[in-house]
Amino acid sequence: MDLYQLKNITHAYGGRPVLTIDRLNLPAGTLLGLCGPNGSGKSTLLRLLGFVERPDRGTIQFNGRPAALFDDHVRGKVALLPQSAYLLKRSVSSNVAYGLRIAKDRRDAPARIRHALSLVGLAPDQFAQRPWFALSGGEARRVALAARLVLHPRVLLLDEPTASVDAASAHLIKEAAIEAHRQWGTSLIIASHDLPWLQDFCHDTLHLFRGNVLGRGRRTLLFGPWQNQGNGALAMALTEDQHFVAANAPADLDNAVAAIDARHLSLHAAPQAVPPHKARLQGTVTTLGLETASDRITASIAVGRVLFTVYLPAEALSGGRFAPGSKAWIAYPPEEVQWY
Amino acid sequence: MDFILQGFFEAIRLLLAGDPETYSAVFATVKVSSMAMAASLVMGIPLGFALGHFTFPGKRQVRLVVDTLLSLPTVFIGLIVYAFLSRQGPLGHMGLLFTLPGVAIGQTILALPVVIALSATAVESMDADLRTNLLSLGANRHQLLLSSLWEARHGILAAAVTAYGRVMTEVGISMMVGGNIKWHTRTITTAIALETSKGMFAMGIALGLVLLLIAFGANIAVSFLRRK
Repeated sequence: MDLYQLKNITHAYGGRPVLTIDRLNLPAGTLLGLCGPNGSGKSTLLRLLGFVERPDRGTIQFNGRPAALFDDHVRGKVALLPQSAYLLKRSVSSNVAYGLRIAKDRRDAPARIRHALSLVGLAPDQFAQRPWFALSGGEARRVALAARLVLHPRVLLLDEPTASVDAASAHLIKEAAIEAHRQWGTSLIIASHDLPWLQDFCHDTLHLFRGNVLGRGRRTLLFGPWQNQGNGALAMALTEDQHFVAANAPADLDNAVAAIDARHLSLHAAPQAVPPHKARLQGTVTTLGLETASDRITASIAVGRVLFTVYLPAEALSGGRFAPGSKAWIAYPPEEVQWY
Repeated sequence: MDFILQGFFEAIRLLLAGDPETYSAVFATVKVSSMAMAASLVMGIPLGFALGHFTFPGKRQVRLVVDTLLSLPTVFIGLIVYAFLSRQGPLGHMGLLFTLPGVAIGQTILALPVVIALSATAVESMDADLRTNLLSLGANRHQLLLSSLWEARHGILAAAVTAYGRVMTEVGISMMVGGNIKWHTRTITTAIALETSKGMFAMGIALGLVLLLIAFGANIAVSFLRRK
């Protein structure tokens, strides 16, 4: 059964629509990444999924039942860590214990609080009695995460969890989130600009733009500006002498966004190896990674300021052809470009 | 200048010797201000919280009225309360004129706008992320209200201290509604006014010192509570 089912959702702030979703189903136990530029609706979607706001229109079902703010079957089961996590004006341990206290859940509370603090890398003996104002930004964010982890939530929603914290805190936050998924099967839904992390870590990624869902999975989004090439083809300049060419041009060129899925991209060491019917772009390999959810090897290729992700067969790595820093050719069929 | 210095030493003597007239005024002041503060906090904190927390039609107008009432002159409150409590007034049958509860009614009217306005400001200035945080940790409506109130406690405490200062130091209401009756409704401020008019500066300065000591004690208590 799907954990979430969203139908005909629209939400606006001050009369300005910020999110429109016709239908979206999210399975239980998922690791889902939300990506998109600022203002694309990621935080709004997380607030609706976290039941801290009601959508203006539409319905959200949680675990097969209609759910909304204050409903008993979502309280304490869905925990949202907002971008600017707020700590109550209390000690660290009181902050972590708050959710347990209001749920009147006193089972092993001291042990659970200590465990939650340990998960986020804060030594309980050192931090438990500290007041809220004696913490650094990274420590405060980790205490806020511990306050959610102690609830053993079914769903943990993280809004830019590693923004504005140092590398060490970011690493601990990521590790704690993975541990929650491993220990309690917590579903994780994470909004982040750290696309390589999301794509390596998550089972699936959801792309949002201007409040709309622009598909799922590993894909590269291109926002234009677009030049009409004739014959229904459009081009976007990536470098001085290279253009991303796409077929099946939409009517509205000004607001057109193109998406190309990673499974339609292939990587080649030389231009002669690119099949003749495919478009090609020369770029630089920036990173090689392993998609933990599928065990597939991925390569990120920078062409100008755009980063393409390509799946690589294991044998493609033999001979060191595609090491980071090496030049490579991306090939794709222009007719597989999707328009939004 | 000498008489001021003499007054200061006389003040210490009166206090240390346990002068009954001085202590009668002190007890009357503490009693009446405690009654007024209890009433204004019980009514003012929920009203201030509601004004700061909820959005409703006419909220801005209500806020304007409350802010205007912050400037109510004590003699005007004294006049209105006197009119209500006097024999021909609508509450004359209650026999509260020239009693400490009568003075407390007037002082409650004085303190209430201070508690409401400053509590509302404290609640309004709370971090917007507080609500999201409480909801995301599983708070229901009741817990959301109580926890928000607790988070605003420092601001509400400041509202209470400000109101207490206003109540302790007012003269107009105590004089008009209490009548400055010796051993009965004479408070510290009305006693200072009387003693000064008689040229008894020592007594006046002694009472003034007591007023400062009480304020000092209240602020020490508040600074202790702020750490909680």
